[in-house]
Formats: sequence, structure tokens, C-alpha cells
Amino acid sequence: MMNFKQLFSQALQAGISDVQVFLSGSKEMNIESYEGKLDRYEISDVSGLSIKGIYHGKLANYYTENLNQPIAEIISNLIENAKVIDSTDEPIIYAGDKEYAKADQLYNPKLDQVDVSDKIEKVKTLDNTLKNKDPRVMTVQALYAEGSRSVTLENTKGLKLSSKANAADLFAEVIVKNDVDQRNQFDLIHSSDPADLEIEPFATNLVQNTLRSLGAKPIATGEYAIVFNPTAFSLLVSAFQGIFHADNVQKNLSLLKGKLGEKIGSDQISIVDDPLLRHSMRSRPFDDEGVATTYKELVKNGMLNTYLYNLVSAKKDNVSSTGNGFGGSTSALNLVVKAGNRTPEQLMIDVDNGLYITELQGTHAGCDSISGDFSLQASGFVIKNGELAEPVALITVAGNFLGLMKDVVEVANDTKLTYVGVMSPSVRVRPQKVSGL
Amino acid sequence: MLLEKKLLETLIATGMATGADFAEIFCENKTAHNFQMIGGLVEKASASKIQGVGIRLAQGFESVYGFSNHLDPDSLIELAGNLAKSFTGEIHAPKPLGECEKGSHHLIKISPLSVSQADKVALMKRAHTAAKNYDPLIQQVTVSLGDSVQEVLIATSEGRYVTETRGRVRMYINAIAGKDGMMQTGGEGPGSGKGYEYFLEDIHIEDYAISAAKVAKTMLLADECPGGVMPVVIDNRFGGVIFHEACGHSLEATSVAKNASVFSGKLGERIASPIVTAIDDGTIENGWGSANFDDEGYPQQRRVLIDKGILTSYMIDFLNARRMKQQPTGSSRRESYKYAPTSRMSNTYIDKGESTLAEIIANTPYGLYAKKMGGGSVNPGSGDFNFAVSEGYMIRDGKIAEAVRGASLVGNGSEILHKIDMVADNLDRDRGMCGSVSGSIPADVGQPALRVSSITVGGKKGGAK
Repeated sequence: MMNFKQLFSQALQAGISDVQVFLSGSKEMNIESYEGKLDRYEISDVSGLSIKGIYHGKLANYYTENLNQPIAEIISNLIENAKVIDSTDEPIIYAGDKEYAKADQLYNPKLDQVDVSDKIEKVKTLDNTLKNKDPRVMTVQALYAEGSRSVTLENTKGLKLSSKANAADLFAEVIVKNDVDQRNQFDLIHSSDPADLEIEPFATNLVQNTLRSLGAKPIATGEYAIVFNPTAFSLLVSAFQGIFHADNVQKNLSLLKGKLGEKIGSDQISIVDDPLLRHSMRSRPFDDEGVATTYKELVKNGMLNTYLYNLVSAKKDNVSSTGNGFGGSTSALNLVVKAGNRTPEQLMIDVDNGLYITELQGTHAGCDSISGDFSLQASGFVIKNGELAEPVALITVAGNFLGLMKDVVEVANDTKLTYVGVMSPSVRVRPQKVSGL
Repeated sequence: MLLEKKLLETLIATGMATGADFAEIFCENKTAHNFQMIGGLVEKASASKIQGVGIRLAQGFESVYGFSNHLDPDSLIELAGNLAKSFTGEIHAPKPLGECEKGSHHLIKISPLSVSQADKVALMKRAHTAAKNYDPLIQQVTVSLGDSVQEVLIATSEGRYVTETRGRVRMYINAIAGKDGMMQTGGEGPGSGKGYEYFLEDIHIEDYAISAAKVAKTMLLADECPGGVMPVVIDNRFGGVIFHEACGHSLEATSVAKNASVFSGKLGERIASPIVTAIDDGTIENGWGSANFDDEGYPQQRRVLIDKGILTSYMIDFLNARRMKQQPTGSSRRESYKYAPTSRMSNTYIDKGESTLAEIIANTPYGLYAKKMGGGSVNPGSGDFNFAVSEGYMIRDGKIAEAVRGASLVGNGSEILHKIDMVADNLDRDRGMCGSVSGSIPADVGQPALRVSSITVGGKKGGAK
């Protein structure tokens, strides 16, 4: 294993003014079944070392998976790369903050205490349970995925930080079929506590929801009040999260430019970035630049409070980094849409003719992050006289993300950490354009 | 630093100690460089070293995979032992490893490791200058350059023991033309499975830069494409992307073996018009998708997938060969040691026919000429696809007429094969990155110009002629 002190001193001797190392270690386990049999068992343990150095004012990057790589080789690579860079962005290696949050709670040793054979058994049991729920269940896929990540950051300004986190997913997808139709759905439980990974009622809900969607059809084109379920709303928030990044604002690529301190949504909507969210493997007390991460209310009761900054974009706006410098750019850690008080059923009570959207597709191509416009294939259920009615598919929901934020009527109390890494409750919005028949 | 033979034999023996009937060790050591240039200025320069080992064990159809970059013998033996715990049963003895066979094709003349960063950047600046100076309408040019040298070593319990060094170089040139607040882009991505001799000796990078700029300008000045069902002439090179995405993936054992493909169980049957012959050839010298060996250690091959319309071969990896009771076709590939390998395409193309492009155009009274194709998507379940045309022209009275933009082709992978009614002789290939279960790998697509008798063209300008 490389001696960082030695790397730092040799780099400084070679004329590199500042150096930072970022060591990341990931361990993962994936157990997957297909048609009741163990289909994939994969284990891994990989460490990678990212090194950045400033040479004559230019920042160069080097990444290696050889932790015993000769130091001279790393230094010559950094210098050669720095020499060809023309960018005038002023690079910064950070000396550190006064305080960093304690984050021991992000690693739950209980996950390691469960034997591998029990984890395999869990997948097989989930597979069988789903398959035996109903004769219309045709195909089942069950997956247990577990990961842990530890990171260490050290630099020549004397900063030295480390943290680790772990989490597991219990995931399932079912395909159901009757005489006229075939539908599939997936769901997952995400947690760092093995006790949360309960097969019931997870399996029952998944099979029931998928069966209910059999026979789904388009509805008439028009404007419908919509309740998005947590996954659907999370997908939208995730697709448009770039509008909060200060570097996008500075490059004129964000529709939130010039809107700081202004109302961008209804009173009902609040979105925070929670860097220490429990059960999220992304959670960290510091970012990739060594800045302490902070709990931020990006949008509070509709008001835009802050953008997300890394060191370089913060310097341009003459503010402090918000601790969102990740992967050489900007990113939120865990976006959370704050929950309300009532259940999703209560949110629907006064909807006469609306839609409950459970799935959105094509966020990659159907969302224009610059204009905020989206047009997405959707499926879900009709809401009739305050209750869920027939299933709906092959419709398109179109709108604008900022318009949607203003149209939020109420948020429910069923917050869920979804597979896109955003936590959200069900959200009811005023009527939106829906294309169908 | 690839592993010694003695350690490889120990790992294979450890993996098979509990009942596995197959063990495979994949070692990789890869050095890569990446540069990004915007407006002629280098914004980013980085280098990386990827190094690790993947161990795969199988018993019948069941397999387990583990990977790590902790390469000390104790850690690797522990990994093999942990994987072995998945199996119990009769113990199989591995075949001993003989001499390590070294790949002798696809050699690198000017290694990416021997060219200075300054010389690489100079190449990028040449591309930038040529594209920028093409026309005053070209407002911005971005250029990126990537190269890599990957050493692999594969040893299996069946006695396969091979090694090779794979070189890759590629540049992406994107030109943006703008006028009155409107912008259109044109791109080229020349690259090869060799070293910098490709850029320094084989090609003139300016030709590609100018081509990218020309597309951007042409599309900026073009009218919106009319929509409707019409004959479409898809030209060579990246036109092959439709076959790759909408048909090729369905011929990979990954989907065929699980009966998830529309082509499952159709060997010997007619699946395309009689003028269509399709080939997947991993042996093309220094091809973008070529190699001496596949990532299971089998020699790469030339596979005739469709012969005059008849389905003649799938692309099959070792494990799916067991499931399908057929022979592996040397088709197993993976991005890196972080992926278990599976059946993938290499350099895939529709073979040349007997017409000429001029004849095809002259025989088409009305239709769309898709000179260059862009990206798209395919629904793997149904084979329905949607691809953007990045450079298109209308065909009127057997002649290429006005340029049109915003066209897309909407169809079905298995249907389009029957609708190909003319195939030209101008076969040429182009490069792509193909993403699938075993990661993102370099793959060539290709075809000669061909005509699809009728296909839905999506466009914004009504349906009128």
C-alpha cells in the first residue's frame, strides 16, 4: 500500500504545489434468482485511488487501481497532464472545515453479521413467495444486493478525513399474465438494517399492484389532476436535479438562474439535501473536495434558498461551498421531498376524475433539463370519486418542472427512499396535460 | 503485473475443490488517457490504470463470479475459496496449463504509452482548426481523445491459457453550427484497434473534422423532414447501427438461450430477404471490435449470422453453449475484470450486394436518403426501434433533393430485415461503444447503402409530399 506522506513529499519536490489523494474501497455482493434458481452470485472487493495535483496553476487527475504503483510514475503522469491544460479555472485544494459531522451511524455492522447462506435463502424464499401468490404470476426475478463503501481523503494542506457507509436492497420484478394482457412491475426495499428487509408485505403488495394493472388501457386525452406515487415523483426530481447546480446556473444552463430568494413552487413543496440520510450508501460527512457536507433546504415552502456549490463555482459567486463537490463536478447527496401529514388515500378523496401515476418512462430522453419541459410515457390508475379505479397505460404526461412545482397541491406522509436515490412521498398536483386516446 | 502460472493453477484448483466443473481466471492491466477540448482549449487531461482479476466458477448452468484488485496470493485464494463455497458435489480435476499462447494479430505499432501528451493534444488542435475554419456558421467545436492499452491473460480449467495486448485509439469531434438562435450539431468518431499509427499514418484527421462541420452546417440550413411511410435508403458506415441494435442483440446467446429473443429456435429459417447476408467478424485486422481471443480465451472468429436471408449462427459464449447444447463461437466479451463475460458482438455488418448507391437512388421515385444515422433505442422485448437520422435528404424523381432535419426511423427489427429490397456495393464500417450486461465495449457497425421498401419516418413537417 502506497505511503501518502512519501507521495506528498516527492510531489512537492517535483514542483507540484498541492496534492490530494482520495481512496475509495467498495465491497459488493449480488445474489439473483431467475425462475426459482440461483442465477447470479457475485462478490467483489475493489479499491481505487484518485490523485489530483496542481502544477503551475493547472489541475491534473490520475486514477489507479494499483495501490503499489511507483510514486515517480504517478507524479510524471500528473505533470505531463497538467502541462497540456489550457483551462483558466483556478483549482483549489482545500485546507478543511472546523467541524465535520460524526457519521458512525452510516455503517450498520448488523448487515455483515447475517450469514451469506441466509441471504441466498432470502432470495429463494422471496422468489417462491412471489411465484405462489397467484396463478397469474408468470415470471419472477428476485435480487439481494449489498454494498459498503469506505473513503479516505488526505491532502498536502493537512486535511485527513474518512467515512464509511453500507446498505442493502431487496429487489423483485414480476410478470403477470391473463388471457388478454401481460404486465410487469418491480419494487425494492432499501435499508442498512436487515430487519427492514421483510418479504411480507413487500411480496403481497408487489403482486397485488401488478395484478391490478392487468388490462391497463389509455384514457381520453385531456387535463387530469394527478397524484404521483413516491417513485414517479422521485424520477422527476432526479431528472431535473441539475437545475440546482451552481455551475449550470453560471453557464446559463439552469432555469433557476436569477431566482434565488424567489418563490419557485407552491407553499406545499420543500426539498432538502440531507447528506447524512440513514440507509443511503451515498451519505457522507464530507464531499470529494474535503468540504463538510451540510443539511440544506434547497426549496422551503416553495422558496428557492440556495444552489448547490463546489469550491470552484462557490468562488465565482463569492460564497462558500455547500459541500456538493463530487466527481469533479456538482451533485446533491440525498434529495428529500419533505412529507406531509395525510395518507395518499386522503389526498385523493376529493379527486373526481384524476390519475394516480405509478410509473414514468423515458426520463433520459423525455426531459429537457434546460427548458424544464417533460413529456413522459406513464402508467397507473384512474382516480374516480376519490378512489382508485381502472388501470391506465400508454399515456403521456407532459408539463414543465417549474410549473409542476407551482402546481403542487399537497404532499402525503408515505415517504420512501426510491431506486433513483431520491426520497419522496406521494405528491398531488393540479391538472396536467395527458395524451391518450 | 499479470499473475504467474503457478498462482493461476492454485486459484483454479481452489475454485474447483468443492464441486465446480469449470474455473476461469481473467487478469487485466489497462492504461488509459483521456483529453477534452472545448473551443480549442484543453479543459481536462487525465490518466488511469485499471488492474484486477475476475474469477468465475461454474457447475452445469450455474455460475458464480468474483473480482478484486487486491492481487496478493492470499487475498485471491480467499476469493476463489469463498466462491467455491457455492458448490458441492463430485470433484472435477482441471487440465494442467501448458505454454501460454500469445496473440499475434492486431499489433500496435506506435503505442499510446510512447506518444507525448503534447503530441496527442496537437492532433486534437488539428481537428479543432479544420472544423472551426470550415464555415463561419460553425460556432463551437468540442474534441475529445481517448486511448488505451489493455493487457489480458486468461487461464481456465479446460487448459486454455492465453494472453494478448489490445490497443485502442479514438477521437470524437463535434461541430455546432448556429444561426438566429438555432443550433445543429454534426459529429465524427474515428478510431481503431491499434496505436497512434492510425492518426499519424492511416487517416487525415482533417477529413473527419470537415465532415462533422459539414453535417452541422447542412442540417442547420435544412428544412424539417416530412413524416409518413416511405422507402428509405440508409447509407453505409454508421447506418449499420440499426442492424446492430435491433437485430444483432437478439442473435446474442444472452437473449437466445433464455428464449427471450424473437430469433430463438429459428436456425435454418428465413429471417431476412434473400439479398441480406450479415456477418460478425472479430478477426478483422486491427478492427475496432477485434481481438485475438475472446474474453473466455477462445480464438475470435468470423461468424456468418445470416446467409442470403437464412439464419445460420448465433453468437454464443461458453456458459450459454452449455444451455443451448451448441459450440461456443468465440463471442464472449466484457468491459473489464469488473464484469463476468457473456456473448457480445464484435465487428458486425451487412455484407455488400450487387447494386450501386447511384442505382438505388435512381430507382427510388420518392423517399428519404439517410446519409448518416444517429443514436436510438430498441425495446428488447418487442424489437421495436426508433433511430434519429443525423444527416438526411429527400429523394425526388430518382435524385437526391433538399436536406431535411429532425427525421427518425420507427420500425421493428425482425420486420425490417424482410423489407430490404436493394443492397449496394459500398460496404464500410464505423465505430461505436456497445453497452450491455457485461459492460461497455468497443464494437464496429457497418453496411453498404441499402433500401428499405417502406418504413415509418417520423418528422415534424406534415405528411404531404
